[in-house]
Amino acid sequence: MRASKVAILIGGLALWAGQAPGQPSQLRYSADALYNLANSYARAGKPGLAVLSYERAALLAPYDPDINSNLAYVRASAHVATKPRNRFERLAQATDPTSAAWLGVLGLALVGIGLVAIRALPRFPWIPGGGIVLGAALIALTVSNAMLLWPKMHEAIVLVDQTPARVSPAPMADTAFVLREADSVTMRAGHEDFMLIRTSGGLSGWVARADLGAVVPPVGGEY
Amino acid sequence: MQTGSRRWINAIIAFVGLLTPAEYTMAQADDALAYETVVPSRIRIGESATIRVTSFGRLKDVALPTIPGLVFEEIGRSQGLEFVNGTPIPATFVLIRVTAQFAGVFTIPGLTPSSQSIGLEVVKGDEPNPYAWRRQIPAAPPVTPASLPKGVQLQAGGAAFVHLAIPTRAVYVGESVPVEIEVGLRPGIVTSVDGLPSLNGSDFTLNNLSKQPERREQAIEGSDFVVLTWHSAIAAVKPGDFSLSAEAPLTVKMSTLSAADRAVASRLAFPFLQSMYNGVAPKDMTIESSPSKLNVLPLPMEGQPKDFGGAVGDFQVSSDISPASVAAGNPLTLRLHIRGAGNFDRVDSAMFDHLDHWKTYPAKSSFTPSDTVGYQGEKVFEQPLIAAQPGEQYIPGLEFSFFNPNTRHYEHARTPPIKVTIAASLASGSLTALTGAQDVNGAPTTGAIQGLRPDHAPSQISVSELKPLYFRAPFLAIPTALALILAGSLLAVRPNAARATSKATARVLAQLDAAARAGDSASFFEAARTTLVQTFAARWQIPADQITPIEMRARLGMASEDVGLLLALAEETKYSDYQSGGTDFQRWLTLIRAQLTSER
Repeated sequence: MRASKVAILIGGLALWAGQAPGQPSQLRYSADALYNLANSYARAGKPGLAVLSYERAALLAPYDPDINSNLAYVRASAHVATKPRNRFERLAQATDPTSAAWLGVLGLALVGIGLVAIRALPRFPWIPGGGIVLGAALIALTVSNAMLLWPKMHEAIVLVDQTPARVSPAPMADTAFVLREADSVTMRAGHEDFMLIRTSGGLSGWVARADLGAVVPPVGGEY
Repeated sequence: MQTGSRRWINAIIAFVGLLTPAEYTMAQADDALAYETVVPSRIRIGESATIRVTSFGRLKDVALPTIPGLVFEEIGRSQGLEFVNGTPIPATFVLIRVTAQFAGVFTIPGLTPSSQSIGLEVVKGDEPNPYAWRRQIPAAPPVTPASLPKGVQLQAGGAAFVHLAIPTRAVYVGESVPVEIEVGLRPGIVTSVDGLPSLNGSDFTLNNLSKQPERREQAIEGSDFVVLTWHSAIAAVKPGDFSLSAEAPLTVKMSTLSAADRAVASRLAFPFLQSMYNGVAPKDMTIESSPSKLNVLPLPMEGQPKDFGGAVGDFQVSSDISPASVAAGNPLTLRLHIRGAGNFDRVDSAMFDHLDHWKTYPAKSSFTPSDTVGYQGEKVFEQPLIAAQPGEQYIPGLEFSFFNPNTRHYEHARTPPIKVTIAASLASGSLTALTGAQDVNGAPTTGAIQGLRPDHAPSQISVSELKPLYFRAPFLAIPTALALILAGSLLAVRPNAARATSKATARVLAQLDAAARAGDSASFFEAARTTLVQTFAARWQIPADQITPIEMRARLGMASEDVGLLLALAEETKYSDYQSGGTDFQRWLTLIRAQLTSER
């Protein structure tokens, strides 16, 4: 009886968590749709929007070889450097973030149930012990996946070629340096219509929000 | 004979008479008349000018001055004749080369005791040299005959004149009025212009004079003149009737002899003797134009617009925006063009302080004159705007008010509204374009870029948010709740010390009951002793062999006597043949139960 209530509670939480609050129902993201959209941008000669869409598709399906191949191809065509993934990154991103999240929950449940079972079944410790090890591995997979994707939460793609990065957040401010289309930058702060960005080379400057596309757009936001 | 002697005597007297002024001249050699000229008087940095020291007598060594920015070098010395007013005069010439290192106006002190200081202007390399008498262009323009402007008189002995040309009509306060200052010079007599002409009158502001004066050559009253014309604009600061004049500093070669001396010199027949009495030297002077009347009217108060900022003139306004079509969030530049003639320094516009659905930024202006004095031209105000929302939008017209002195009325100009098309932001437009991309999926991917893998078949799996699930707060509630539940379960199944103790106590008491019922005193006391000692050792956290009667007395108080008796009986039954007939098992069971459940 008690177990059924707990299952109902967890099921309700899962249903609630799966529906983001305030998100219009017609805005849906699909890895395949984003990939196809990126392809169309690439064919139209818009590498910035293409890379942005590939990055978003890769968030949903990081293991998809087509996405990674086309992303690397468009970046190379746009003369933008691509950082290859190492073995750990490939392993940690063997599953998509949604599955990784649920696997983490499963791992947490296995660890907890294993700890309880050891108390309850002291005569057969290898059964709950195996569950604890498996659960810990799943939790480690989820944490690694999250750690690898955390930088993506603040990453943006330059959408316009020769985008000026200015020394201050004003349209008439001096240009510190110029960004190429499809460059990846890290968003550090925002001020009105400008974002303070940092390049992989360590340069910082203010870029108009309209010239950037956030890989993970905020809920209800535009960038 | 007498006639021949008289001729000799007359000849000797004449010779002595000739020598007398020569002796006088030699005696005055140290303080001989001298003057200096510098040609050209305006040079560029790095160029050289030549200072010519002309002395009408014996000239000692010339001490070269030390002036920062100028380098002096004597390059030659010669003797010859200087022609003054057509009369040759013997003179000594010293040529000194001066090379400029810095830009500026330098005053070179007189190099001889009797000479005046001279000026040298050094300009930067990109500025022309308008004062060069020797024209650098090969073809010389013809000298046109002309007459003096009305009301203008020659000054400096007929060597120069100044003329101020201003409008004859009445002007308004603040109105920019173009003026011309003409300075006529006779080359050879006027050696240099020692500065820019200036305006006499404190009730007017004078714009910067044109950097390069217009230069023309004219024959005026039979003499060749070089006429330099500067352009500028003046503006009156208050109403009233004013008199204006212009003045210009010059250096002119002037005769230093009195009229009597010049008469004596003219009577000397021999040119050499005549030259002894012809003194000439450059002289600094300022010549002034004839005053001109100017009537200044106040601006009318009637009909003055609220946004009038003091602009007086004849202006036309227009506006544009670029680019005309842009994505939301990208800046556009709105421009207000004000063209015409007038006081552009008072032409100002803040453009838009606030505009619905637009983010506005402060405007900046730039002025491009179409003449040399800034009276005519175009002032452009630029204001960056950022559209907040996509769609077709209209930017309202811009307004500008000014007073037109030609119509003598205030005028209010307004530009037409501007239509702009704002597209969706590039970043936010991806979702809109997503639909189009999905439509493309059904069609074959013809024309695909080589190296680009083909499209995927559309799937029905989609998410509402790109943010990974484990970064969303609602999802984090699940593992949190799960962890709390598991923690509660762990707490529920953890070993309870009190419960374990009670179970053990019950087990021991049952064992003691069984021994009591059987009348087995040895087993009873042995079990009681073992249980009590282990209980005390665990409770007091000390080894069992260190539980002494003193320790028990200190911890148990009065009960320690019964416990000690029980332990003593246990020892006795262990090592002797103890008879259990007199054993009160209930008493000892009560004692043992009390001690096992006690907290002390």
